[in-house]
Amino acid sequence: MTSSKSCILVVDADILVRHALAEYLRDCGYRVIEAVNADEAMAVLMEPTVTPHVVLADVTDPEIFDGFGLARWIRANRTGVEVILVGSIRKAAAEAAELCEEGPHLSKPYEPAVVVDRIKKLLAAAARAQ
Amino acid sequence: MSNPHPLPHADRTPRTILVVEDEILIRMLISDELRDAGFEVIEAASADDALGVLASGHPIDLVFTDVRMPGSIDGAELASRIKKNHAEMQVILTSGHLPAHEALSIAPFIAKPYSIAKAIALIDATLGSISDLGLSA
Repeated sequence: MTSSKSCILVVDADILVRHALAEYLRDCGYRVIEAVNADEAMAVLMEPTVTPHVVLADVTDPEIFDGFGLARWIRANRTGVEVILVGSIRKAAAEAAELCEEGPHLSKPYEPAVVVDRIKKLLAAAARAQ
Repeated sequence: MSNPHPLPHADRTPRTILVVEDEILIRMLISDELRDAGFEVIEAASADDALGVLASGHPIDLVFTDVRMPGSIDGAELASRIKKNHAEMQVILTSGHLPAHEALSIAPFIAKPYSIAKAIALIDATLGSISDLGLSA
């Protein structure tokens, strides 16, 4: 890999959102680790065998996941790890696209709007089934 | 990244595995290895999350699920519901404890701690791509 930012930790409680973002970043050439919440993210960040360079964390539902608390913990305990907090699916996809443009493949595999559309369709299908 | 477990039929459409595991480091390890082996992987941290994926209609070929997990249902119940509602979908159970006899009758089982190579071989055999490995559930 050509970039120093070769590993991204995606933290999002919603599996359909998290998976779509993670797959997009994998298509850009990154190694992506997926965490459901701050506890899982911290477990990964304390694991000596893995070194995420960027943490992309959702802050849309603080009752489920305290992204700001995770960011504070990372600043105190894992200096050098870049933290990106996102408050919407569209913002998350845009940030992922920016990461792609400086990533291992140096290009976006497809437009971030496609990621957003895909996530919305999956969420709608899941909602209809419930 | 090198591929330590290359698939014998790497030119085919990737099979999709839903990994259901509440221990993040175990989930990360098996998922990474499955991707290296050529599978598409979706990671769920609970059976409830797995049900959400199934409800979304995302095509899944096989569900590799831990048995003991927090949430409204465990992995054995998840396997039971999959067999009832998604008969075409394969399921493999894993646990550090031997599941109840009923669960073992639903799906193949691999005990924790498992070797990654054996887990992938069992997944491949369960998907029917390798019939002569001599593996049994």
